[in-house]
Amino acid sequence: MFGKKKGETEAGQEKKGLMTILKGVLYGMASHGNVTAALRTRMHLEHLFMFITLGDMLGIPVLPPYYSLRILPYAVPNIESWKQRVFRERDFTDAIY
Amino acid sequence: MNSPAFFVLLALVGYAIAYWGYGKWFDRTVWKPDPKRTTPAHMYTDGVEYFPVSKYVLWGYQYKSIAALGPILGPFVALQYGWAPALAWIILGNFFIGWLQDYGAIMLSVRNQGRSFGPITYEFTGNTGRATLLGFILFYLLIISATFIFLIARFWNIFPGAFAATMGIILTGVIVGQLMYRVRLGVGITTLIAFVLMIASFWIGTLEPFQWKVSLGENGAYNILFWSTLLAVFLYLASILPLPFFIQPINYVSFFPAFAAVIFILLGALITPFTGVTLAQPAFKGFMGTSGPMYPILFVSIACGAISGWHSLVSSSSTAKQLDVETDAHPIGAGAMLSEGLLALASLAAYMVLSQEEIQALGSNNVASWVYGATLLTRPFLGWMGENGMQLFYATVLVIFAITVQALITRFWRLVSAEVFGDSILGQKHVATLVGLLVPLVFANTGTWSNLWLYFGGSNQLLAGLALMLITIHLARVKEPSQFTLVPAVFMIVTTLAAIAWQAYDFYRTVVSGGTKVMAPWDQYKTFALTMDIIFIGVGVVLFVLGLRMALMTLRAYRAARAGTLGTAPTAATGDD
Repeated sequence: MFGKKKGETEAGQEKKGLMTILKGVLYGMASHGNVTAALRTRMHLEHLFMFITLGDMLGIPVLPPYYSLRILPYAVPNIESWKQRVFRERDFTDAIY
Repeated sequence: MNSPAFFVLLALVGYAIAYWGYGKWFDRTVWKPDPKRTTPAHMYTDGVEYFPVSKYVLWGYQYKSIAALGPILGPFVALQYGWAPALAWIILGNFFIGWLQDYGAIMLSVRNQGRSFGPITYEFTGNTGRATLLGFILFYLLIISATFIFLIARFWNIFPGAFAATMGIILTGVIVGQLMYRVRLGVGITTLIAFVLMIASFWIGTLEPFQWKVSLGENGAYNILFWSTLLAVFLYLASILPLPFFIQPINYVSFFPAFAAVIFILLGALITPFTGVTLAQPAFKGFMGTSGPMYPILFVSIACGAISGWHSLVSSSSTAKQLDVETDAHPIGAGAMLSEGLLALASLAAYMVLSQEEIQALGSNNVASWVYGATLLTRPFLGWMGENGMQLFYATVLVIFAITVQALITRFWRLVSAEVFGDSILGQKHVATLVGLLVPLVFANTGTWSNLWLYFGGSNQLLAGLALMLITIHLARVKEPSQFTLVPAVFMIVTTLAAIAWQAYDFYRTVVSGGTKVMAPWDQYKTFALTMDIIFIGVGVVLFVLGLRMALMTLRAYRAARAGTLGTAPTAATGDD
């Protein structure tokens, strides 16, 4: 009885595994490039947002400090990843896809 | 034996040995991937460019990014020597060189903090090397653009309904973009709507009122100019409009018919023993073809499908940054490349079943042979679409393959221009796009397609050779066996430089003998034709010089790496380079 159940589970897992592969390949072919491009667009917009809100941190006061301070608590959690992305070495060959 | 299926199966066996035999051995001997070593995707995770992705997703992404017109049209140019040399190059080129480069490019980037080829070239060869690579890529992009623009315009001209069908698919893409990003409709339902709209687009293309035949000038002499100008308008929009609303959704919807066509042709080739479709081309025609001697022309005729430099750019710019574990690199890099070889084989099969007379009867439209061959192969199970419908489907698929890649190339040109020309007027987004379209437009209207194709193949394969050299330098620096990549690298560099030199010499020879290689009707304007011939010679010379310079610099870096004097970290450029 247990063996049968085990067999069923294995078959199910195998089927699920094949489906996962097919879905992954299809997603990779059809959408992955679009998703990463959308993420990159969002990243550039976020850079702009951070630059506007925290510009005075860099010596470029875009927004009056009053508003910067109001937004600061929301922007602080993103500062580390923002710095990491902005400081990363970039090249023209990064822009192909 | 008289069926294409036999040769496709032979290649499948060859590729299986390449992947599981030579590939695994090479993996154990040279790269020694370690599943426990942290990849850049984990080390620098930012959720945007660096993040781990499943190997199945990355395989699909890699395959889709590398499979374009190269493996489809390249075999046609190579057919001038017969199908046997083309088949041998597709199988052996991929076996010993092609997958090695794609896989190596991923591993090279992974072992170098996920950096792309620009910074790696800078590290190995200094600022001069990077600047040379940049210059080479600029010319490379111009040539690819000219080739693709010419082919799209030609296909729109040959198949009257293809333009309407292409526009229908582009419109479908734009609608899908709006539905996804503005209306925020689910992907599933949007895809379903896209399917319906695309089927409608193909159907519309078969209707008489939408089969737009253009005839400008004597015997339609200016048709290509008309179609290529229309295409340039589309490419201009693709370059300046935001990605999510234009290129992205168009690429998304285009994927489905393009992928379906590949499956259909592969299936059609494999079932030929049952459908009765047989080989109609001679296996070998001779060492001297219409474009020149078999060596080196054959090796640049079939670019992607055997080996391609474009793949190394894709591999290092995105795939390597998202590799979950090092052991995934082999199935992704090697697997996708060998699968692309199958696409080249399926395309070759489509040409093999057409007779010499059938191809000759097409005259200057012989570039459309693939469409007729594919129709012949798949007629047994797609016959319900009708002859017209099938031809329109394959012609539109070819256009889609080219147009989606070309849109990205035009955009890439704009970005590279911004890098090269900085704040000057040439770096400005509209000006850069216009320059990136006008120059290829002139080339596309004056250079015949086989001449453009050979320059494209030459520069593409040379880039592959240079990529292999970078891989070799890295392997030498880390004291791993480097001869397995050095030999293919030297072979590719020497061969492609020879091919580019031959092509430039061919232009020169024609000019000296008082002729012109410029396409009709522009050949009647003698001064203009001569100027264009000289420009084409110049393009060849520049490609040759840049390629040679790059090759010498990488060779010097290789010697330094062997001697242990190449730095292990990026070094600052010296003042004199």
